[in-house]
Amino acid sequence: MIKSVENTRVVYVDDHPHEFEEGDTILSLIDRHYGRGFVPTLCDAPQLEPYGACRVCSLEIAQTAEGPRRVVASCHTPITAGMHIFPESKNIQRLRRNIIELVLTDHPLDCLTCEVNGNCELQTVAAKVGVRDVRYPEGENHLDRKKDLSHPYMTSDLSKCINCDRCVRACDEIQGQFVLSMHGRGFDSRIIKGLDSTFEDSDCVSCGACAQACPTSAISDIFQSKSIEASAKTRTVCTYCGVGCNLDVAVKNNEVHSIQAPIDAEVNHAHTCLKGRYAFKFYNHPDRLRSPLVKRDGKFVEVSWDEAYDTMANRFKEIRARSGPDAIAGISSARCTNEENYLMQKFIRAVIGTNNIDCCARVCHAPTAWGMQQSFGTGAATNSTNDLEKTDLILLIGANPTQGHPVTGARIKQQVMKGTPLIVIDPRKIELVPYADYHLQLRPGTNVAVLNMIAYFIIEAGLVNEDFVKERCEDFEAFCENIKKLDIDEMERVTGVDRNLVKEAAIAYASAPRAMSFHGLGVTEHFQGSKTVMLISNIAMMTGNIGREGVGVNPLRGQNNVQGAADMGVQPHQEAGDLNVTLPEIQEQYEKAYGAKLSNKIGYKIPQMFEAALDKDLKALWIIGEDVVQTDPNSAEVKKAMESLEFLVVQEIFMTETAHYADVILPATSFLEKSGTFTNAERRVQRVNRVVEPLEGTKPDGQIVVDVMNRMGYEQKSYSPDVLLEEISQIVPFFKGIRWDELGKNGKQWPVAEDGTDTKIMHRDTFKRGRGKFHYFDWVESKEIEKNRDEFPFILTTGRVLEHYNCGTMTRRTGNKDIVSEDILAINPKDADNKGVESGDKVRLFSERGEVELDAIVSSEVKPGILYTTFHFPEHMVNMVTSEEKDEESMCPEYKVSAVNFEKVSPSDSTVKKTEETVSSER
Amino acid sequence: MSKNLSALSFRKGLEKNLFEKMVESAEKTGTAVSDDLKIMAEEYLIGDAIMLGAVSFYDFLKKENEGKKVFYCNGTACMTAGTQDSLKKNLHKHFKEEEIGEICCLGRCHENGSFQFKGVNYSGKNENDIDQIIGGGDLPSSDEYNTGSIFKTPVLLAGFPGLDEYYELLKKLLDRDPVSLLDELKASKLRGRGGAGFPAGIKWESCRNVPAEPKYIVCNADEGDPGAYIDRYLMEKRPHSVLFGMIMAGYLIGSNVGILYIRAEYPDSIAIIEQSIKELQEKGYVGDNIFGSDFSFRFKIIKGAGAYICGEETALLASIEGRRPEVGIRPPFPTEKGLFGKPTVVNNVETFSCIYHVFTVGGEAYSKIGTDASSGPKLVSLDGNFNKPGLYEVEMGTPFAEIIHNMGGGFRVPVKAVQVGGPLGGIVPVDKIKDLTLDFESFKENGFLLGHGSVVCIPESFPILQYIEHLFEFTAAESCGKCFPCRLGSVRGQEMAEKARKEDYKIDPELIMDLLDTMELTSLCALGGGVPLPIKNALHYFEKELRPHLKNQTIAT
Repeated sequence: MIKSVENTRVVYVDDHPHEFEEGDTILSLIDRHYGRGFVPTLCDAPQLEPYGACRVCSLEIAQTAEGPRRVVASCHTPITAGMHIFPESKNIQRLRRNIIELVLTDHPLDCLTCEVNGNCELQTVAAKVGVRDVRYPEGENHLDRKKDLSHPYMTSDLSKCINCDRCVRACDEIQGQFVLSMHGRGFDSRIIKGLDSTFEDSDCVSCGACAQACPTSAISDIFQSKSIEASAKTRTVCTYCGVGCNLDVAVKNNEVHSIQAPIDAEVNHAHTCLKGRYAFKFYNHPDRLRSPLVKRDGKFVEVSWDEAYDTMANRFKEIRARSGPDAIAGISSARCTNEENYLMQKFIRAVIGTNNIDCCARVCHAPTAWGMQQSFGTGAATNSTNDLEKTDLILLIGANPTQGHPVTGARIKQQVMKGTPLIVIDPRKIELVPYADYHLQLRPGTNVAVLNMIAYFIIEAGLVNEDFVKERCEDFEAFCENIKKLDIDEMERVTGVDRNLVKEAAIAYASAPRAMSFHGLGVTEHFQGSKTVMLISNIAMMTGNIGREGVGVNPLRGQNNVQGAADMGVQPHQEAGDLNVTLPEIQEQYEKAYGAKLSNKIGYKIPQMFEAALDKDLKALWIIGEDVVQTDPNSAEVKKAMESLEFLVVQEIFMTETAHYADVILPATSFLEKSGTFTNAERRVQRVNRVVEPLEGTKPDGQIVVDVMNRMGYEQKSYSPDVLLEEISQIVPFFKGIRWDELGKNGKQWPVAEDGTDTKIMHRDTFKRGRGKFHYFDWVESKEIEKNRDEFPFILTTGRVLEHYNCGTMTRRTGNKDIVSEDILAINPKDADNKGVESGDKVRLFSERGEVELDAIVSSEVKPGILYTTFHFPEHMVNMVTSEEKDEESMCPEYKVSAVNFEKVSPSDSTVKKTEETVSSER
Repeated sequence: MSKNLSALSFRKGLEKNLFEKMVESAEKTGTAVSDDLKIMAEEYLIGDAIMLGAVSFYDFLKKENEGKKVFYCNGTACMTAGTQDSLKKNLHKHFKEEEIGEICCLGRCHENGSFQFKGVNYSGKNENDIDQIIGGGDLPSSDEYNTGSIFKTPVLLAGFPGLDEYYELLKKLLDRDPVSLLDELKASKLRGRGGAGFPAGIKWESCRNVPAEPKYIVCNADEGDPGAYIDRYLMEKRPHSVLFGMIMAGYLIGSNVGILYIRAEYPDSIAIIEQSIKELQEKGYVGDNIFGSDFSFRFKIIKGAGAYICGEETALLASIEGRRPEVGIRPPFPTEKGLFGKPTVVNNVETFSCIYHVFTVGGEAYSKIGTDASSGPKLVSLDGNFNKPGLYEVEMGTPFAEIIHNMGGGFRVPVKAVQVGGPLGGIVPVDKIKDLTLDFESFKENGFLLGHGSVVCIPESFPILQYIEHLFEFTAAESCGKCFPCRLGSVRGQEMAEKARKEDYKIDPELIMDLLDTMELTSLCALGGGVPLPIKNALHYFEKELRPHLKNQTIAT
């Protein structure tokens, strides 16, 4: 309470003085001081803009304590200094009661059997205002409206609707999808989906923001997320993409009931996509592995954990003794926690004695980590996603965030719809393109050429931030000289993008006071992937777009913890904390910490592991949570590599394409059954809290690794995130101040100083490496194209859909499969016409490596000569055709450019025999 | 309000805007076609639901309007004049039930029996006329009404001297500094004529001071009050006064675009304004660099589609943007964030029409007309139950009795009350007429509302309970549905009144006062918030007539 009545920022609530904040409404002030719900409301929601429909939050205000009072809606009435507020006067109580009485004249009174009984905002408000009677004679009502149960997840029962418009606003203000609207006017107005159809037939993307926003059960979901049946809620972090959404998971009897998005989550503010909110039923799916398996006579038999561990310990020891530690490798998992990844690399380094440790970052953002380290000194996002609200321009390169990173995608869309300019550099007309100011629709494989052109035009327009470059960077002159020599005619030709468009976009980027770039796998998964990353860094540096709010270079990391996996040392050339394994003085420190002798030879990257296996140099491999057969390029070769191994351990939650080749299969747990931390794309280390007990017969990945370490004679304490974080904080410099108990609800963004201060924006005053370094690279045609373009004249590029995650191991075992059930090949109308292909036709897609059959969709999302598909379904094994070409620096596969051809398949002459083992394994 | 939809609509500009496309899509069949909606949704990136949600709001775009061929006016004056039954009977001779729609109101309150056929308005005076009109006979659609001014030299009714002479003033004013002209306007004390009476000078100045571009001038020509045809008169008979006012607004606040949102119920107004703009364009009095100055200005007409709420400024702006015309919260006020979220001046037709005189005589002189608080002339429209129905210009402060009895010539039939200011204006029992002068203050002090200045008679023979029902019904029909008290309260009020009128149901005085207080004090806009006033007036002044329909007690109003 405030003493000084002289204070100019004071208002009085029932004569009690309170200080207000800039931008306060009366309701926000009262919520803060008296708690949410003190002033009742039905249409206001913290995640939505003030709306002013229900009027239940009305209260009285006056200029002086005794002055004449006026009734206003508190949700949208701004505070003015000295205001006197009377939130609960007799008059107000009567008015609120009267409004609720009116609402109840058109609302079913079946509360006891209603989904939201006990958690209905109307019920709560009715109770608070004390309605005892509905005095109106029975009149017209809408109680006979039919339910919509058409959709795999979303449901509606509009007889329960109170027309607060929250769902419509959620769809607009949060997701930006505009699937819902009010229809008609007055008493007959009602919610519609699409052109008055159903959830199923509308363009709904099932994010569930409407269901969460709805104050009654008018819109909900099949999990009845708002019921209070499951009272225990645990907050954890989503297992899917690198956005790192917080989830509130409701549990009953050790079973997950439903998931909602916490309103106070800094990352996702009451929002998630359908994967986070609804695609959780995989976790106790009947297909889950529930016992360790050992292959005997070509068949898997169930064994005890002890037997599995003994087999592993014996084989690893035996192979190491015979062929040395470098004959053994590990692939850890970006789906696992930091602590688990830390343990796995520690096992490989300290227990086995090799640096043969890698993870799926190799196939996604290894070029980002490498490239940004070269430019800035740190291979991670420079800024925070929240900066989107502060930026003046967004540059999106090779990413499709509305599908791949849906919550970030929706946030970008929100900004762009409201007028923030967007430049998209992508071979496809992705969902954000129609909202963008510039779309540089380049030919796949020409990122370097386009970015060089951008640099050229920035220099030409005199828009280089000279001060920034001079004070904070190096090697600009050499870069500049090379750029000036660029053959723009040639670049225009190879990229297929009009030079004037590139010029305009370059000028827009360089002129924006704050420009923020985001990039995805369309940048990294290329022959020149790492170089592209460095060029993105170049244009950010030359325009001074580093080290401030609303700027920066921000990779959209793919997996939930791919940032963390690398940070924890799951890479063959760097230890936990990104320190170089070849430097003896560094290795010495680690040796001391681990109490073991370490190798200072750089280990195998994943593609090298396959090669080494084929060459019989690599004999044993332990893979955690990664289906390399389905997801790595050129599946046939990967399969051969798996077959060549003497000993393969696969640690998984489901049987996968890769697991078929294993000698030992270990049943691990999903994210819902373990604790630890994930690090999202903006370096935010967040707490993953165990929601349910591990399924019977399974163990958390970290525990398995600990068990094997102990079994092999290395003493490691039982898996526990607090203990491990303590250990990690001693080893990883940027984790210094991270403590399990201090991470709070929203985590901390590394580097975290010893005192616990975290870092929202990196490279503020100096770069991590001192000066930001400019690099110049010529554009070079991918060897894949050089070699194969004559025989295979089309370029295939691959990506993801919203509904599925990677190879679909999890999402294919959820309702998402009812929404999208196959990979489809997008073909430009011109090409389709030439080949006589129509939408829905089966086509054979083939390359030098192999062939697959897919259904076609004729679409102008791709230019002529370009094909696009996804790789979620093992039935299709799209990676049978993808290229083996790799990023020169990081060996990240060039998924985005494969020389292919295609033809229509008539139903009778289907030439592709679906790989038997593939199909039969998928029940 | 949706910032996203507003911004997405802004992207495509005003030239051919979303709302116009919706209206165009409905032209053939009477309702906007699904295929068109899909195309528009895609073009504007706003989703099918949003498109359907918007068109379903409007009487002349929604599905139910499909196949309607003729529309009879269900406005208050036509109702109290008792012309609706015979008109409907006559129309039924030519049309099937489902082909006859309702429309509210055509502004022919002086002649009544009005209807719209093939986009043209008629006053169906008798059976023969109606047969001829429908049969394709060449009957003129024009109407006739008295006009008169209390001033020796009429102000708003002043004759039009011809384009060149009229716009000579504009030429002169464009030489002057906009800020000094704003001071002049403020000095005139001109208050908005749409009903709220907000000082125009202050509104314009605050809009001028908002540092955002572009800015818009919007003329609210959605004169929806049944009984009012003031704006209709100005647009059809004095169109240049409206246009001149808007051009000046543009010059004073720094806007280059003037948009007239004219209701579909006034086809002649649209045609005449369109013609007048053409004349200005031909002369070069609008367009780029008017009279060689730096000032450019162009006009845009947007035709409404049948929704009373579009007379509310935030709903009107939403309508122009192609959003559902639901009432928005304030602040932000349109002067800060109006059309497309940009600074916007919205004024009523009559307000703009006053501007010419303000700058002819000067602000100071203008302020001397009328009363101290309510300056200037005011137009009033009198309905068909007057002996001399028509449109009159009076000075603010003129005794109301003078208007009723002298200018209007008294009543044609026995009348018990007049409703002034549309359906949301007060119901003045005839014995209170003598206590009033025509200005904002007098009406307010006496518990009424001047509103826009229309006067509709309630004959002795017309049951006051039925009138109350009509007011609730009107509100229910026109409520945008956004705010709970209006959406639900208007229907429950209507049901109570109807039940009491038709059945042996007694209205609980406490309940109806609870309802009226709640609507009045908590509604979002002046529709739900305004209708309780006349109903309370009726309950108060006609308690005796209503007593048989009330539960025991008397009413404490």
